[in-house]
Amino acid sequence: MFFNSLAFAIFLPIVFVLYWFVCNKNKTTQNTLLIIASYYFYSCWDWRFLFLLVFSTFLDYYTGIRIEKSKKDSGRKFWFWLSITVNLGFLALFKYFNFFAVSFSELMRGIGLKSSPFLLDVVLPVGISFYTFHGLSYVIDIYYKRIKAEYNFVDYSLFVSYFPLLVAGPIERATHLLPEIKVKREFDLQKAKEGVYQIIWGLVKKVVIADTCATYANAIFDNYTSMNSFSLILGAVYFAFQIYGDFSGYSDIALGVSKLFGLDLLRNFNYPYFSRDIAEFWRRWHISLSSWFRDYLYIPLGGSKGGMWMKIRNTFIIFLVSGFWHGANWTYVVWGGINALYFLPLLLRKSNRNNMDIVVLDWSWDSVKVVGNILLTFLLSCLAWVFFRAKTIADAVLYLKQMFTNAQFSSQYLANERYNYELILMIVLFVFVEWNNRTKEEPISEGKTMLKMALAILAIIAFGTYSDYKEFIYFQF
Amino acid sequence: MKKFILFILKTIIIIIVLAVLLDYAYTSVYLQSNNRNKVDYVYNSKNRNYDVVILGSSRANNHFVSEMFEDKGFRTFNYGMSGGHLFEASLLLKLMIERKYEIKNLILEADLNLSNDHQAEGVSAKFLPYIHNSETIRKHFESEEDFNELYYIPFYRYIKFDAKIGFREIYKTAKGEATSSLDNLGYYPLQKHKKGNMKNNIVNLKPLVHNKYYQEIKSLCKKNNINFIAVMTPMCENVVGMNYFEKVKKAYPEIHNYENVVVENKYFSSCGHMNDTGAKIFTARIINDFFKK
Repeated sequence: MFFNSLAFAIFLPIVFVLYWFVCNKNKTTQNTLLIIASYYFYSCWDWRFLFLLVFSTFLDYYTGIRIEKSKKDSGRKFWFWLSITVNLGFLALFKYFNFFAVSFSELMRGIGLKSSPFLLDVVLPVGISFYTFHGLSYVIDIYYKRIKAEYNFVDYSLFVSYFPLLVAGPIERATHLLPEIKVKREFDLQKAKEGVYQIIWGLVKKVVIADTCATYANAIFDNYTSMNSFSLILGAVYFAFQIYGDFSGYSDIALGVSKLFGLDLLRNFNYPYFSRDIAEFWRRWHISLSSWFRDYLYIPLGGSKGGMWMKIRNTFIIFLVSGFWHGANWTYVVWGGINALYFLPLLLRKSNRNNMDIVVLDWSWDSVKVVGNILLTFLLSCLAWVFFRAKTIADAVLYLKQMFTNAQFSSQYLANERYNYELILMIVLFVFVEWNNRTKEEPISEGKTMLKMALAILAIIAFGTYSDYKEFIYFQF
Repeated sequence: MKKFILFILKTIIIIIVLAVLLDYAYTSVYLQSNNRNKVDYVYNSKNRNYDVVILGSSRANNHFVSEMFEDKGFRTFNYGMSGGHLFEASLLLKLMIERKYEIKNLILEADLNLSNDHQAEGVSAKFLPYIHNSETIRKHFESEEDFNELYYIPFYRYIKFDAKIGFREIYKTAKGEATSSLDNLGYYPLQKHKKGNMKNNIVNLKPLVHNKYYQEIKSLCKKNNINFIAVMTPMCENVVGMNYFEKVKKAYPEIHNYENVVVENKYFSSCGHMNDTGAKIFTARIINDFFKK
């Protein structure tokens, strides 16, 4: 059941009505309904993986309590490592086993040994990377005594399986979401309205921007050998907007839906393409994952405390792991590595925390510099996205080589019977709208809301791509 | 909560009003168009006179060279539609008759398309802008599964088939930008493709013994005194399951089998589609057999 499907358009109002009119006695009835709805939502993909979700929930719930109750350090360690091993074991089994088997086999063949890999015939359970990280952060926080274990199984289950964030995040923290879950929610008109605005804007991003860009990006990436430089540049730009629209659109819908139930989720995107350097980009892109890696990997590794070398090593580790988290393919690892390389000059110049404020432009020379920095950061991210989108590293390298050496900048007719330049105006308009609303979560709220909402709905109806349907990209992660 | 319900109602009203307005605007534009495809070329036309009209799928569109008929003095137009089934061919003929076209001969490519009697969505979508303006189109779609959604939900058809009749197409239609589909009197010549697929497997295809739309076309011709010529057109030599054509012949003895008139790969662009040279050989044979003066 996708957020932009008819099934979800029926599911959501039913759950909403039951939540506020039938199950609003206390927080337990509210939470119970949301769990039932979440399990139903998840089982719409594949009910068999529901057992995995329930098992993972129970494991972390139980180990969390045992860690807290253990008087001896050895006991705490045992339950902690049990949870970590099982959680990561599931992830390794379902997501990475075949990748390692194939890579090992290729390595053997490379050194002249015969090898045929043993592969598992399994489907990747949707959302496994996301709910595993929910559980891991919870157990780690208990182990380091940052939070108390949750003894109410219903509340804990909802924290892990809450349907708006279950399959593609944001990756929530127990410190943020659990306190919200533990109190009865009262209906808040303003919050609910903001939720609707955010859902509508998320749909604009998904069906108007992402899915339309996807049509063009696919036509260019799938035939890159016959494309000229102009098409290849546009292909990278279109993909940049496809992945941004797709993932941030999903996050917006998730946040909006959650607001309808009175629950605030962590913000996942903050206009990343207006970043002035790569460090700022990573503070604005997939914020819940970046901060997860910062808190549970970078800082435990020593963070920036051990001098410059340690800083660089730890930065590379989190970017490579982050790349690998996205998918079992070397292209993602290279993508992570490239981003780490982009980070390097900022680390060496100790300027990675320079741009913490909101971008403000005026008619000064500094503003020209800021615009230049924004464009450069966008350009760098586009080059890295080529690796993220390409099927193999060789494809990505050839794509970039062709882009820099072809030197033809004419219009081209693509395999999807469209000209390569057709989306430029739409993207410029989208950037204009986002730029003018960069201080808010979405552009519809605050002033002339009905008109802005009508325009957004008009865009969804008239300019959306529907017949060439595309799933949300991050579902595969 | 009351205020929120009111807010949601307002939002729903906005959606409905926008859908109705957009539906009206799109349909109005399509009602003015006659140079984008063969459907609008027929729909927005008045009586035309033809000695020969050709109907069918791409195997008609790419195989009958209209100009060769014209050279022999026959006013001809190739209305074959790439990707189309007999569902669309039948509807197009109904619209021609409704517009009082005078047609002496109708050549119908009837072979692989006899295996189903459903719409080909990508092609049938071109008729949908007119579904509220034409009783003929409405009735033709009535038996289709998604008729109620397409007919009663405003703008739904433009959303469902956005790649065919959505914003991009309406923009080009409003601009009056013509396509090449009406060039060469409807015939679309193909070139020899180096990478063209020269293998085909039609083992699983079975001709329907009573194809609803084939029968419909046949009876329409009879009723309107149109000489009906049904033909099977050539396929390349590497086809698995060639007895399909024999099965067609058995079920429909009146269909002329021209499958093996052109066989060599050099005359094909892909296994099911002849190139321009092959099409000319084939058309010459058809003219010779049916239109020798």
